[in-house]
Amino acid sequence: MTARATPAPLPPATTVGLQGWLRQNLFSSWGNSVVTVVLAVVLAWVVVNLGAWVFVEADWTVIISRAPLYIVGLYPYESYWRLCICLLLISVLLGMSWRAWPNAARRFAFGFGAVMLFVGVFPHEMAPEHRALLLLNLPFIGLGYVLTPRPAETSPGRFEAMAGSALAPALERVAIFSTPRRMIIAALVALVLTMILILGIAGVPGLDPVNPQDLGGLMINLLLAFFGIVCSLPIGVGLALGRRSSLPILKVACVIFIEVIRGVPLITLLFMSRHILPLTFPEDLNIDRVYLAGITITIFSSAYMAENVRGGMAAVQAGQTEAAQALGLRGWQTTLLITLPQGLRNIIPAIVGQFISLFKDTSLVYFIGMLDLVEMGRVSVQGNQEFIDNGREVYLFIALVFWVFCFSMSFISRRIEGVLGVGRR
Amino acid sequence: MTRLLYVQGVPIWRNVVALRWIVQIVSAVVVLSTIALFLLNVAREIEARDIPFGFTFLDRAAQIPIGEAVIPYDPSDSYLYGLLVAGLNTIRASVLGVILATAIGILIGVARLSPNWLLSRIALVYIEVFRNIPLIVQLLFWLTIVLTLPKVAEGYVIAESIFINNSGFYMPWFEAQDGFWPWALITAIGVALAVYAFHRLNRRETETGQQSYPLLAAAVIAIGLSLVALLILRPLAIDIPQVEGRFGRLQGGAQLSGSFLALLVGLVVYTSAFIAEIVRAGIQSVGKGQTEAARSVGLSGMLTLRHVTFPQALRVIIPPLISQFLNLTKNSSLAAAIGYPDLVSVANTMTQIAPAISLFMIVMVSYLSMSLLYSLIGNLYNRMIRFKAA
Repeated sequence: MTARATPAPLPPATTVGLQGWLRQNLFSSWGNSVVTVVLAVVLAWVVVNLGAWVFVEADWTVIISRAPLYIVGLYPYESYWRLCICLLLISVLLGMSWRAWPNAARRFAFGFGAVMLFVGVFPHEMAPEHRALLLLNLPFIGLGYVLTPRPAETSPGRFEAMAGSALAPALERVAIFSTPRRMIIAALVALVLTMILILGIAGVPGLDPVNPQDLGGLMINLLLAFFGIVCSLPIGVGLALGRRSSLPILKVACVIFIEVIRGVPLITLLFMSRHILPLTFPEDLNIDRVYLAGITITIFSSAYMAENVRGGMAAVQAGQTEAAQALGLRGWQTTLLITLPQGLRNIIPAIVGQFISLFKDTSLVYFIGMLDLVEMGRVSVQGNQEFIDNGREVYLFIALVFWVFCFSMSFISRRIEGVLGVGRR
Repeated sequence: MTRLLYVQGVPIWRNVVALRWIVQIVSAVVVLSTIALFLLNVAREIEARDIPFGFTFLDRAAQIPIGEAVIPYDPSDSYLYGLLVAGLNTIRASVLGVILATAIGILIGVARLSPNWLLSRIALVYIEVFRNIPLIVQLLFWLTIVLTLPKVAEGYVIAESIFINNSGFYMPWFEAQDGFWPWALITAIGVALAVYAFHRLNRRETETGQQSYPLLAAAVIAIGLSLVALLILRPLAIDIPQVEGRFGRLQGGAQLSGSFLALLVGLVVYTSAFIAEIVRAGIQSVGKGQTEAARSVGLSGMLTLRHVTFPQALRVIIPPLISQFLNLTKNSSLAAAIGYPDLVSVANTMTQIAPAISLFMIVMVSYLSMSLLYSLIGNLYNRMIRFKAA
């Protein structure tokens, strides 16, 4: 009796290792393999051509020779050191955030340090003192890190009085704002110092006032976006509260304001502000267009901010309001202590998103005659016979600068979502 | 009123009804007087500083050239007509942009979810690159690319009928003949019939589970009717662009100018990156259990997609999609930066002679009515898809 040996079945296709990964993700079926091969060929063609253009054909001298214009506009050269000091302040703040929120800020601090190191070391024309000040950013990040105490893991017992009520966990979550109080103070001090350093004070030696019109380049994009977001937050909260209020005229006024601003392009608002805003100031007060742009961008941003805040407050569970009412809080107390803080916490990622789009929108201020990064690039191409054929290089460089900022901010926004636990309960 | 304010035994400052009235009135007075003060102040200053204002200029001759126009335009036409021409240019760019951006956005969004790793990564790179660069930079870049194309005489020619050069893109287009309107009417009737048939068959398929091929039937009805009418009536002739004259100008066919091309490409690429994210999020928002349940009751892959995944994803996709359409329309105002004569660009040119504030009030009202139209469509859709109480 001979047992016929059945042939052993073939082992199943491997799903681990490089081979398995390739089979699962690139060659899982006949059609998939075709797609992979075609895409790979196209991709290789693009990469080879783009690489050849970037490293061989393209002429980057325009970027290097115009770099200061792109970054800071017509800012006076002898005051560059003041901007370097501003960067040092940012470094300290970044170091502090690294300690306070390691997950969200660490890579940002690394990235900032890397850029400073690159610019400080890269061989091009730059005064040695500016080089030194840029390199000084690296120890300053460390300084900020050391200065900050390690954040307490939890703060138990702060809301014992409310223990057992549905409000306690909510208040604990809001408390994330008050933990690093030191940081908020440092940020405010840095903000005031930055403004003083950038604009200068008349009469103080070394701090000669700078004509606001000379602010330009990437600096003005960042400044306008930053102040637009900061100033539009309180206005946006006010508009959102007005839209939620039961007072009919106030509500209608807020709705009309928000919808009109959101319904028209920013470019038309900038145009109107150039013609109408000066009318609301005394005639002899010649208000600079930097401030006009700042006001317009704040108004524009506050309408969008209002809708964000409204959305955030609507997302607060009804149980929170009911618990507040059960505890005997009045209407305005419920809004200010319960709904608004939780609503604001909900919209932190949305605020970062709005900052990104506002930062991109600041490139429209060319329309009222300001020399921001994009306009500087356009002028250096179109107004200069020498660089008339270098448009591609200039616009790609500008695109890269904007991209690095926007992409890293959206990356951080996702990290903040994780830290705050937005979307998790 | 007296009964409201003087409730026996309750002083007025503790009377909730009275307090509410007082707050309402005070807030109304504050809001209205702020607005009035602002308007009066501006009006007074306009008069005091001799700033031109008013709308009487609208029927005077505009006397400015407009580079391209959908309807015939001459500088001797009025300002109002000039603004209309410019508005139609804005609408042309927006409508084409919306259609192309939606198509490309859906493709990229679906590619993002492809099981093919390479395809999904390329879609991710596309999305992350193009939505993080300001539109105006992209427009300037595309314009530079268009301008570096060869001149008309040395431009690319495909099949002797499509011309690509630094003055734009020229392709064959249709020219309406006598039978055009009857044909258009028949086509419209065909589309209406097709929509009706699609709904009937789709409902039958959903209710009875019988394969009824609604999409196929609808396509056959609409395209078949239109094609038959086309062959009988011959409503369209084809107009091929041709090089004419000593300077080699191109005439005939459809012409897309360089700045229009740059604007269209920029708007489509930028907006499609956002739409792709919306589509991806919408498809992912449909729970996995839905697909599994559909498969377990025996629906095939295509049927699952059509009857289970897609209708639910659409609910999530449409509202933000409409807001992207609105964004695209508003963003088309950046045409002013690259020389395409849209509403903002033409109005800006007109301000050299005509009152600037009045002109831009008209422009803003035009954009507002466009955005109101979009929100109307959005609200109608929301009402349509609302869950009905069973």
